[in-house]
Amino acid sequence: MLKVTINGIEIELEKPVTVLEAAKQAGIKIPTLCHFDGLPPFGGCRLCLVEVEKLPKLQTACTLMTTDGMVVRTETAQIKAARRAMLEFLLINHPLDCPYCDKAGECELQDLVAIYGPEAGRFAEGKRTHPESFDDPIIVRNMERCVLCTRCVRMCDELQGAFAITVTGRGSHSFVEPFTGGKYNCEYCGNCLTVCPVGAIMSRLHRHSYRPWYVEREVQTTCGFCGVGCTMILQMREEHIIRSIPRMGLGLNKGLLCVRGRFGYDFVESTERLSTPLINKNGQLQPVSWPEAYEYIANRLKEIKEKHGADAIGAIASGRCTNEDNYMLQRFMRFVIGTNNIDSLARLSYAPTVSYLESIFGQGITANLIPGIANSDGALVVGGDPTTINPILGLQIRAIRKNAGKVVVIGPPGGLKRFVTNALITDPYSEEMVLAAVLGRLSEEKELRGELPRLEEKIRAVKIPSQDELSDAIEVDEINAAVDTLKGMENPVVIIGPEIAMQKRSSKRLFLIAAIAYLINARLFVLSERPNLQGLMDMGCEPHMLPGGRPLEFEMFRHKMEESLGKKVPESKGMNLFEMLDAAQDGQLKALYVMGENLIQSLPNREKVESALKSLELLIVQDIYLTETSRLADVVLPASSWSEKDGTFTNLERRLQSVRAARTVSPGRADWQIIADISSQMGDSGKFSSVESVWEEIIHISPLHAGLSYEDIAKGNALWPYHGEPLRGVEGEFDVEGIDSLPEKRDKEAFYIQLQRPLYHSGSTSRHSRALLSIMGEPLVMINPSSAERLSLKDGDKVVVSSDIHRAEAKIKLSEDVRAGEVALCNTFSGLNFMQFVDYEVSPVLGCIVITKNNVNIEKVT
Amino acid sequence: MALVDEIREIGRKYPDRRGALLPSLYLAQKEYGWLSQEAYETVSEALNLPPATVKGVATFYAMYRKKPMGRHLIQLCTNVACMVMGAERLVDLLKERYGLEPGGTTEDGRFSLVIMECIGACDRAPAMLVDTDFHSDLNETNIFEILEKYK
Repeated sequence: MLKVTINGIEIELEKPVTVLEAAKQAGIKIPTLCHFDGLPPFGGCRLCLVEVEKLPKLQTACTLMTTDGMVVRTETAQIKAARRAMLEFLLINHPLDCPYCDKAGECELQDLVAIYGPEAGRFAEGKRTHPESFDDPIIVRNMERCVLCTRCVRMCDELQGAFAITVTGRGSHSFVEPFTGGKYNCEYCGNCLTVCPVGAIMSRLHRHSYRPWYVEREVQTTCGFCGVGCTMILQMREEHIIRSIPRMGLGLNKGLLCVRGRFGYDFVESTERLSTPLINKNGQLQPVSWPEAYEYIANRLKEIKEKHGADAIGAIASGRCTNEDNYMLQRFMRFVIGTNNIDSLARLSYAPTVSYLESIFGQGITANLIPGIANSDGALVVGGDPTTINPILGLQIRAIRKNAGKVVVIGPPGGLKRFVTNALITDPYSEEMVLAAVLGRLSEEKELRGELPRLEEKIRAVKIPSQDELSDAIEVDEINAAVDTLKGMENPVVIIGPEIAMQKRSSKRLFLIAAIAYLINARLFVLSERPNLQGLMDMGCEPHMLPGGRPLEFEMFRHKMEESLGKKVPESKGMNLFEMLDAAQDGQLKALYVMGENLIQSLPNREKVESALKSLELLIVQDIYLTETSRLADVVLPASSWSEKDGTFTNLERRLQSVRAARTVSPGRADWQIIADISSQMGDSGKFSSVESVWEEIIHISPLHAGLSYEDIAKGNALWPYHGEPLRGVEGEFDVEGIDSLPEKRDKEAFYIQLQRPLYHSGSTSRHSRALLSIMGEPLVMINPSSAERLSLKDGDKVVVSSDIHRAEAKIKLSEDVRAGEVALCNTFSGLNFMQFVDYEVSPVLGCIVITKNNVNIEKVT
Repeated sequence: MALVDEIREIGRKYPDRRGALLPSLYLAQKEYGWLSQEAYETVSEALNLPPATVKGVATFYAMYRKKPMGRHLIQLCTNVACMVMGAERLVDLLKERYGLEPGGTTEDGRFSLVIMECIGACDRAPAMLVDTDFHSDLNETNIFEILEKYK
């Protein structure tokens, strides 16, 4: 305990903090320019100078630690003169071009000069000049305005971990620049924009398009891009989003955003948005009124139900839609149509991965806090690059390394490159070998604690590759080094990416990861590409699950739901995504209701998916754009985008967060609203006047969400298990494919195409974001430089990529982030995308997707 | 030894990678003649430091060459003692003979000239460094005798 007096106010402190922090606690504001909460202190701007008794010179409050009995004054005549002098120095070179500087109005330098002066500068010399840099599509740099506070550089290095910018030169010729001196080629998180106190680093996208005081209102919402769920502020003027910004300290992202959240929101204002329902008449989609569309849908669905039964109708929910939207869709299917045929693209990897882990460890095992990752002393990352799939979660892993923890990555480290202790890089088909070898070595070091007998029994049964068998995949020394790192971790985390599913024997890999996590006692995280994959599962958008994570197979659960709702729950398990496509192809499924998904783009074997959808008697698609899928529809309903409706998302840590309408008008209608309208058109008695009334019903019937109000969610208290205990016991039954065998070898010479999940894009939605397209505007086929050498290719060469089912021309980009023998392509663009090239099977144990026929040939176009 | 190996060798003598940065930059400068983007990238890769950090450090220091230089660098002092002893005349002569301006490079890429602040050899003024060789008591004839040895 120490006592400090600041401006005559006595403050008691538990432990020494900086004078600046102590003053803040006492409610005294000391002006700063280079200080920024969360960044390491710098002491460069000299504006926080204070008088400290017994110290002869003025001291910087941001770096000086308090000591017992310290007496500090923060606003004396001497201090004011010193601050004025500092500002006068800064203004020697600052251009004072405030009238056309976008920062004016929220500029910290402007505000400080307004308080402390000087009224005029005494320096008659000319100002230094440095042309504004427009080399970058996103960020514009005006180094004449820079005050060299280095907040941007510290942000980039310390919090973002991108190390993209630096102070070059010396003295008055110091400038902040990216390595190229021009274009940033960085992660484009824009967090440097947040911290720049002046107009030196600004968004080019927003240049001269607003003034800070144009902001009429601010709406706090949750980002709609990935499963982290960053809190962001949408600044609105009339019906337009001026900017999306983070707010320091707010949300689990604590004031950081990634490129998608900060710049990618402009897809909602795309001119390609659908604004009226469309019905296919004589082979053409033609605009119709909402009542006509509703009537048509209701009549057709009734007709099909009468003729073929309820099970001839299915629905696809969406991880981009809110809990309320997804709840309403499954409600519609179960109680209005009368079938459990509902699934979503969470089936590809997220849902089976989470369900499998839950069958091993119990429900809610992946509900761990993202901000807690940085406090771990170690991480094991497998199955994808978290810094591109869930960027803000990726930053937490980088922070582990900063906090002297250790990071082990299996696979290419990508954005964790500078933060990795051990990287076990092998071809994707040998990952199982590596995992098995790690488990083998680890179980020699760590004892089985007897907590989970079923898991332990299988750990004992698993075949561990011998040194000889392993030699084809990886050096044994590398395995040993990684195991040494892993066994030393005390409170580690294991991060599981989507690539763990997607291949044959996915249950084996997932089991091996679970076993390793069990041995090192780690918290589990499953990466989620969409904002609400977890939410749609919790809302019962699975053919075998009711809302609230209750398995349909138990009569008790069906009964409870029937009691609370007064409606009959269909008994038989519904069809999943893959079964529905097969059934459509076979003519068993007659109608499909697709909410917010582009199935043709998102699934392999386009021909098969197209033909399945074409075989349907009725395809209803609810979307914000005309997509490959909605073009085939009989009815297209324009939906509201994420920024135009209220509701909630459940992120990958199962935190419920509010989504709020920023734009009050929408070219479409909220998904839940459309479904409620169609339900009542079909005679359903449910009355849903507002999104709150949907939520009321959810908390009424889902034991998981019981008693959870929108207020609780808005306060940020909606953490798992929301109220009370998890629902099921700890252990379940689970199978493992090939527990006593090793994976079959693959041809090392062959090339395999892999799905690239770029930081700058998100499914096919982001192709409507001009901002994101300006960073990555075309699909590039990424290969490792060593592969390029083998094929005598160089960066930018045109090639023909061909698989068994598709052939296309593409441009090559060399990248160390792609493994040798791997060809990576993203799935965003319409002309050239990953899914065109491959086919799929369904994993027998996990029920996830298994990508097949991904062997490709690459030939140079001459 | 390849540059990358040389840099890694130096790196072992320092407690962290940043510590080895300045000597590594000198090695790269020797290899490339000046610190090009490529040179920064090589150092960055060898020390596993971000390229921006490497560039930031290098540009802070005046004695690294940040633009292409001739094969030989003449650093001529024109400070007080050297000036009094006729160094400025030598600057003019270099221009006449080789077309070499202060801060410039000859067309054939043989010499670059940098005017140096006090070289610390006032007792033997005027003085210059050619690459790392020290030469003093220069006059209008011996300066060329010396320089002709550098091809």
